[in-house]
Amino acid sequence: MSMAGGAIWKGNIFFGDTNLPVKLHTAIREERIQFHLLHRRDHVKLRQQMICTFDKKPVPVEAQVKGFEVEEGKYIIIDPEELEQAAPESSRMIEVHEFVTTGQIDPVFLDRVYYLEPDFHVKGYNALVGVLKEMEIEGICTWTMRKRSYLGALQASGTILRLNTLRYADEVISAKSLELRNIPLSEKELNIGSDLINQLTGPFQPQKFENEHEKKLRHLIDRKARGEKIAVLVPRRLKPTASDKLLQALEASLKHVA
Amino acid sequence: MKTRAEGPVPWKSSSGKGNEPALQGIWSGTISFSLVAIPVQLAKAVEPGRVSFRMLHSKDYSPLARRMFCPEEETTVPPDEIIRGYEIGPDKYIVITDEELESVSPERSRTIEIVEFIDMKEVDPVYYDHPYYLVPSKGGEKAYQLLVEVMRRTDKAGLAKFVMGEREYLVAVKSTEGVLALITLHYIAEILPYEGISPKDRKIDAEEKNRIKKSIKNMMADFSPEKYADGRRKKIMDLLKKKAKEKAPVEAPQVEEEEGEGPADLVAALKASMRKVKKR
Repeated sequence: MSMAGGAIWKGNIFFGDTNLPVKLHTAIREERIQFHLLHRRDHVKLRQQMICTFDKKPVPVEAQVKGFEVEEGKYIIIDPEELEQAAPESSRMIEVHEFVTTGQIDPVFLDRVYYLEPDFHVKGYNALVGVLKEMEIEGICTWTMRKRSYLGALQASGTILRLNTLRYADEVISAKSLELRNIPLSEKELNIGSDLINQLTGPFQPQKFENEHEKKLRHLIDRKARGEKIAVLVPRRLKPTASDKLLQALEASLKHVA
Repeated sequence: MKTRAEGPVPWKSSSGKGNEPALQGIWSGTISFSLVAIPVQLAKAVEPGRVSFRMLHSKDYSPLARRMFCPEEETTVPPDEIIRGYEIGPDKYIVITDEELESVSPERSRTIEIVEFIDMKEVDPVYYDHPYYLVPSKGGEKAYQLLVEVMRRTDKAGLAKFVMGEREYLVAVKSTEGVLALITLHYIAEILPYEGISPKDRKIDAEEKNRIKKSIKNMMADFSPEKYADGRRKKIMDLLKKKAKEKAPVEAPQVEEEEGEGPADLVAALKASMRKVKKR
């Protein structure tokens, strides 16, 4: 198994009289099959190109400018130097503003996890791991990395500290905006449904789940490379449970799992 | 951050205004648990928060559209002429059709089958990848609401696998504010071990711990993300406001036929072509 990659950034965790130098490492590595997009006729590899909507011709990078649309068809042009000036000032400080109880942050905010390696001050690092675990808290912090401002949660996991980047509040679409209708349910339906879920509940065991599909996909590519004919299978489509059959389906399900 | 943020989620684009797929219609299928099947659609739960700019032609400020382009014929290629190829050598590809792709795991291509329920608290956040919402399709509203309500009451989340495009996703489906949220999870094999960076000396100094606890004591709060705004975005908005006051905006020539936004990226193009195939 591969190890965590090399350090990608260095900073200092800072709050109260604590100042801990740390190095960031990525925690996730995804490897998957890469496809290219081809022209159906002649299998020429396609590339993305910016096309002018007026004269329908490709536009080279030198002739592209950035505009902010103030009203339909009207733009304020902004040049790269101006954007550069808007970049946050670079700093090595990961400033912890407050601490919250673990589990309070809705998963919709959680973005990417980085492992933090202690840079010198191991005593303080270990103590902070101990405190965060003992108090079951995480620190809400901000920092600037590669000209971008980040919001994150400082967490303890096992023997290490991590930074979990968080999405900004205005990046999250509220569930309420979906405006789903409220449909009355009977207590009986809800009770049987709850029983069913409890029956089907087990511990989270991530090791049980493998990306089987990736292997099958590689197999498919191999077969095609050998010139084999591939039988096309139709995806399964389940018949939706009708509203007036819901109770019946729940009762049958419960019997099924019992 | 770019590598992952834009890598794993094929329908997620980042190329600015108008390129985002419509709220609904990213994927449609069925979510099932035991003998109950609910028709649903996948919807976005997050919107990348950058100020969205539009790329324009410097000549006349006409907006530009991202298109797939054939370098050989020097023409743009419509979605129905685009196919997917796996490179086996320089300019040599194995072509995989959408139908063949769906045949790889046909049982999972249109069904999110919840195989078991778990306590979400047991899932380490390192597993979380990307959040979405599920919304009920016509006829599925009641069963949908039942699943929302019973998962809320039992405080459990469903675990499932499903296939979309080229990928198979392990997902957790949970109840949140009256809707179903779907969070794609990383496979355990994608999570790197941290042994190499963890300190060898693991002693915890009691005095040091007490010192830290003391400073944390006055820093406890409830999580309120609204307090933290993206500094860069704010600065750009201020800059734009200033510029708007100083100078009149430029105007693009009228385009007779609104061409609409092109596919945002490679995979969005394919999605569009897949939809077309399905309709036939």
